[in-house]
Amino acid sequence: MPRVLVVVPFPMSEENLAQRRAQAEAVRLGADMELEFRPVRVGPAGYASHHDFALAELSIVDAALSAQDEGFDAVCIDTMSDSGMTVLRSMLDIPVIGPGRHAVLTALTLGERFSILVMWDRWKPLYTKTLAELGLGARCASIRSIGVQPDNQALLAGKEDAVFPLLEQAALRCVEEDGADVILLGSTTMHQAHAYLAARLPVPVINPGPLTYRLAELAIRLRLRHSRRAYPRPRSDWRAMIRAMGDAGAAAMPAR
Amino acid sequence: MPGILVITPFPTDEAALAARKQAAAAGLSPDTKLTWREVRAGPDAVASATDGMLLDLAVFEAGLDAEAGGFDAVCIDAFSEGGTAALRSMLGIPVVAPGRATMLHALTLGARFAILAQGQHAVLRHRKEAAACGLMAQCASVRAVEPGAAFATALEEARRCVEEDGADVILLGATAMHQLATGLAEALDVPVIDPFPLCLQQAETLLTLGLRHSRRAYPGPVAPRPDVLRALLQGAAAFAAGR
Repeated sequence: MPRVLVVVPFPMSEENLAQRRAQAEAVRLGADMELEFRPVRVGPAGYASHHDFALAELSIVDAALSAQDEGFDAVCIDTMSDSGMTVLRSMLDIPVIGPGRHAVLTALTLGERFSILVMWDRWKPLYTKTLAELGLGARCASIRSIGVQPDNQALLAGKEDAVFPLLEQAALRCVEEDGADVILLGSTTMHQAHAYLAARLPVPVINPGPLTYRLAELAIRLRLRHSRRAYPRPRSDWRAMIRAMGDAGAAAMPAR
Repeated sequence: MPGILVITPFPTDEAALAARKQAAAAGLSPDTKLTWREVRAGPDAVASATDGMLLDLAVFEAGLDAEAGGFDAVCIDAFSEGGTAALRSMLGIPVVAPGRATMLHALTLGARFAILAQGQHAVLRHRKEAAACGLMAQCASVRAVEPGAAFATALEEARRCVEEDGADVILLGATAMHQLATGLAEALDVPVIDPFPLCLQQAETLLTLGLRHSRRAYPGPVAPRPDVLRALLQGAAAFAAGR
């Protein structure tokens, strides 16, 4: 019974968590696969600045550092920034799947260049690090924004009529003007637009969250995980200290 | 019940093929059905551009009717992209080969990969394939292991890939090298990718997410000539039979 921990990057109500969980409906996994969606207990309010990215890393790591001891077979991270993936890979021997890196590499199996579709310009730095690490920046045809502030709690619920056509138009410009062969949704918080876009666009549209669940399954089935050469272990066991930081940080979080 | 057409470009003896079929199916969804099809004619190995051209046409022809024949995806049982771009220009179903997709998957596990080529003649082909994908900077090295070489020899080359060339991940350069995977991974503590089982899982990934290659990247012909293609291979097969 393979178990996968999906780390959700903000504390949230059960109602909002259900919208994150709904991503699993977009992919058919093996019947034995179990996904558990776990929100972080400490972290930034959004992922829109380097202040946020710095907090985000510890936020995600705090939520997943015991995943292996808890009996999970893989960890997925529910944010295209891949925050915490590198650190978790240094600490864990189970697969850790971040959608940013994996969506870019999957896109390149389907075409030569891809574009990333985002809600607002503040998300553009999320991908810089991933593309630079991969050395594949030239394969990104463009990152286009629709200029709408995202809601990382309620996602796109209730905004379909306002937002979906804007996303479609921006994506078409990526294809027709920028030369994209493939479109990546720039955030897992955009997943509710995937079916609409996939039905209307002339190119493949990658839904990053569901992709990670399936790639976690693939890693489990093939017994493949990240290379220790690329992700060396820490020399000391920092877990207890990170937990203590998370305890203190969680107590300092503003009330929702 | 997803059906995958597996094209085998190179003749293989029955026992080896049976072993590979068993290894390949491990870990796949129990619903997935594999159908194996040999090419009509073609080279035993790809050691030159001429072999490559013949392989291209052989694989292209073998997969041409896959979609009309009711298959959901096509996979190639060889570490080669030969024929796959042509198939993608004709088919609306996923076409997945060990090759580009293997190298891209390696980059999910580390920054650089090395390829263990099956025979010195294959080294050039792998380098060209990495270059064609724009992945030369990420390819730490390509080293050769002769077919039938002892495990210790393969291990020594793989060790050099990691310790001297800086590879984080090893790719086996032929689907027939699959027996090396576990032993090398244990000895070196790096991921060692067996390309064909990964290829099948990648096909399953695309099917379960409703994804396939971009028609922008692989546009179809204005005037397809499938009959000409079939005639080319029928001619090749007749020539080979007459010899």
